[in-house]
Amino acid sequence: MSFISLLVDEPGRNVLMTGNEAVARGAVEAGIGYASSYPGSPSVEILANLGRLAQKFNHYAEWSVNEKVALEGAAAASFAGLRAICVMKPNGLNVALDSLASIAISGIKAGLVLVVGDDPAGYSSTNEEDSRPLEKAAHIPVLEPGTPQEAKEMTLFAFELSEQIKLPVALRCVTRICHASANVIVGPVEGGCREPFIGTDERFITNVALHRVQEAKLARVRHMADTMPFNRYTGPEDAKTVVITAGVGFMYAREALAELGLAAEVGILKLGLTWPLPEGMLLKYLKTAEKVIFIEEIEPFIEENVMHLAAQHLMEVYPLRFYGQKSGHVAGQYGPGIGEMDPETVTRALAAVCGKSYTPPVAGEFLKDAMPDIPSRERAFCAGCPHRASFWAVKSALALDGRSPVVLGDIGCYTLGLTRTGFNLLQTVHAMGSGVGMACGLGRLADYGFHQPVIALVGDSTFYHSALPALLNARYNKSSFLLIVLDNETTAMTGHQPHPGIGKNAMGEEGLKITIESVATGLGLPVTVHDPYDVEGATEAVFRSLQAEGPRVLVLRRACALVAAHQGKRPRVYVDQDLCIADNCGCNRFCNHVFACVANIWDAAKNKAVIDEVLCNRCGVCAGLCPVGAIKVEGGGRVD
Amino acid sequence: MDGKKGPLDLVREVMASGMCTGCGICVGLCPYIKTAGERVAFVHQCGLEEGNCYRSCPRTPTDWAELDRAVFDREREDCLLGNYREILFARAGAGDVAGKGQYGGVVTALAAFLLEEGEVAGAVLTGGPAGEMPRPVLARCRDEVLACAGSHYSASPSLAALNRAARQGVERLAVVGRPCQVLAVRKMQGLRNPTPNNLSAQKVKFLVGLFCFWSLDTGIYSFMRARAGDRRIVRADITPEAMALDTGSGVVNFPVEEVRPFVRPACRLCFDPTSEFADVAVGSTEYDPDWNTLIVRSAKGREIVDAAREGGIIETRPYPPERLPLLRKAVRNKKLRVLAAMENGEAGSYLELSDGYAHVLKQEGGSGR
Repeated sequence: MSFISLLVDEPGRNVLMTGNEAVARGAVEAGIGYASSYPGSPSVEILANLGRLAQKFNHYAEWSVNEKVALEGAAAASFAGLRAICVMKPNGLNVALDSLASIAISGIKAGLVLVVGDDPAGYSSTNEEDSRPLEKAAHIPVLEPGTPQEAKEMTLFAFELSEQIKLPVALRCVTRICHASANVIVGPVEGGCREPFIGTDERFITNVALHRVQEAKLARVRHMADTMPFNRYTGPEDAKTVVITAGVGFMYAREALAELGLAAEVGILKLGLTWPLPEGMLLKYLKTAEKVIFIEEIEPFIEENVMHLAAQHLMEVYPLRFYGQKSGHVAGQYGPGIGEMDPETVTRALAAVCGKSYTPPVAGEFLKDAMPDIPSRERAFCAGCPHRASFWAVKSALALDGRSPVVLGDIGCYTLGLTRTGFNLLQTVHAMGSGVGMACGLGRLADYGFHQPVIALVGDSTFYHSALPALLNARYNKSSFLLIVLDNETTAMTGHQPHPGIGKNAMGEEGLKITIESVATGLGLPVTVHDPYDVEGATEAVFRSLQAEGPRVLVLRRACALVAAHQGKRPRVYVDQDLCIADNCGCNRFCNHVFACVANIWDAAKNKAVIDEVLCNRCGVCAGLCPVGAIKVEGGGRVD
Repeated sequence: MDGKKGPLDLVREVMASGMCTGCGICVGLCPYIKTAGERVAFVHQCGLEEGNCYRSCPRTPTDWAELDRAVFDREREDCLLGNYREILFARAGAGDVAGKGQYGGVVTALAAFLLEEGEVAGAVLTGGPAGEMPRPVLARCRDEVLACAGSHYSASPSLAALNRAARQGVERLAVVGRPCQVLAVRKMQGLRNPTPNNLSAQKVKFLVGLFCFWSLDTGIYSFMRARAGDRRIVRADITPEAMALDTGSGVVNFPVEEVRPFVRPACRLCFDPTSEFADVAVGSTEYDPDWNTLIVRSAKGREIVDAAREGGIIETRPYPPERLPLLRKAVRNKKLRVLAAMENGEAGSYLELSDGYAHVLKQEGGSGR
């Protein structure tokens, strides 16, 4: 489970890897020449690792500014004959879909593998989106690994399949594959093509006439699927009850059947290729089975497609009952298709369908004994996070403005601005860059009676990802709004990946810094920069910018506190409790209650503020906000 | 003050109702009240039921007679000009102040004198170029005072600088302020509540009040810029008849009626155009631009004016008897308008006057004490 495991040069050796590392290793073993991605959980470590491996294995790796560009770059490498891998999360696939749909029509040359990390339950996403329906819509095959070992094998296989049928192939991973660690047997690293060339006669053209070629390619894969080793059945050959599953669902189902004592009578059909379906293989089991149970995460993708297949062969499979999301039997806490699968949910579903009794373990009692007195915690910005200071400045400026400005949010750490830690300021949150486009719309409505000032808030990485077309639109169409870029000089939420403003790339090379100011200035927009740690000055800057007209940009720039905490000698920040006026008039626990940095805690015994010096990242912002100067900054030199 | 009143009441009774004078006394008392562009707003409700913000506000209920007793230790005899010891014409003595002030330069001269004599360690003023929105200033030396010479006509919340200075540990302060600001400082000085945190006004040792019949909304600055064209405004002045913008290459004059739409609504309900609770009050003479009207009100005011005169910092001459009725009439008219508004229920309920005050005011002929 480390970078070292990716470097192992002994084929056959068994090493511990996460699913993400296994995919990266698979790509290296497949001899890729090109890798690209825009950071997104849960699949972010794949490209991060491929970037670090680039020099050793002689491939190119980049953090692209967005997923569309990433996919286009990877496709181009494939056209030139280099195997290419492109990694994203489902939201990224939405961005890249237009290109994917076209590339699937034109076809490709060297293997092109699209890895999509789905996030069931949306642990690190604004949504829980299933990428498979989009991949189906784009007419490309979909593979779903169930273990890290399979993730590596399927990556290798995906390149071969892609080259065989000249289509991009999708590898759908989910959080529990990406982040889980397991033993993976490494294989040899192939050289791969290293003489990229596009022949003068070669063409990669999108044209409606090629639709029939696509369908023919898929038909060919459908035929291959019946004998594909990743599609396999375990259990009695004439089982009356069959579980059809893929990905992590396979392990859950196997565990559940063992627990219920059903392993000898219920079969499991594990699909590795979930689109197109192995129809022959499926029909074989549908004909003998009386009950089919579907276990999969997010949408009932396999379920619906298998039910279509069964409907088409109704007379052959009858009688047969289907249990799954559609019937309501496979459902977590919040209903079918919502949230992750887990062994308990799967066991409960199988027990109900098979008429077994099952009493789930009482987790609550166990937790109470093992972990007493755990306070529930809200999500909050990290200690010292510059966003907290920025949001306080924005909140102050909004109150001072008094015209009820509208604040449009976006995707990043600062999406938390819609909760208490960001003073509940965000009024919209959609896709990356959406807030800026929406600001364009609202900012054009003054002539039609909309007079509230408009603020769009984006992060630095989001600015480069997708704010630019909306800004150009704003200038062209004379919209009026303030774009505030919360610039923490990194892509923080996904683990501090670089972007065009950093001057470093995925392979660690130093390069050109393309600043937000230079881009905005290039678009003809007025731009000012302020440090959010100077809260009063930042408030003034936001207020002044709000009073202006036209599209305009304010950059609130301060490095992510987690990055800064590791740099330089930091001062100690503490409370002089003799000065603290606590909950009296003049404060009422501002640092602890309102600004609420997670390090500004409360000394209940003395009824005074105190700083948790373990959590504190020593930014010193609260010292400037304390109304009586009770918070002291000592030593270490002023943070800067 | 009866019952518990706090920030929510301040918002309802003063800020949301347009009664806020923009004095700045509440700005920075706590982390929740801020200012920008001469707007004052609660950024966040602190959650307390009562607070010094409400108690100090010049537009929350104020007992005029009690304040007279607290500041001057006696009732007022003059229902128009309040407590005072002497009314004079005054101007800065020969030296660097002369000619810098709006009229006689008395405010600038006194503030510099207080600092130089060590009476105070800082002076809360309003500064910035003519024709632009002024900013609160804490002057710590003579040069910094001189840089602030000249009048501004919008309501700078300069008491924010008082709160800041107190927080920074400046112990003895002078304040130059509008009548509402003088009132705010006096109200805060009188507070005796169980949590005396951040009571900056208790560090104020001398109060120079200004004459002020109204102040203007910040919209005036774009209006002035439009009137001055591209030219920089080096001096702005408002007389009872006209506003004059001196651009250095000619003076732009326009009738005062054009300025009136910018008057802050809160100022229409002000009962105190001559800073009745200041140590000294200073205004124009509306007669001779080289001189100021100087009203010596408190014993401390008397002491400082005498010392300044002896040191040649200011010179004085008797107030021309024939001018007094004009001043009294202007003050009376303003007070009567507020009384009328109160009787119509417009002025809220901030003014708490002793029995008979209104009656005396209405009877007052405007000719003498």
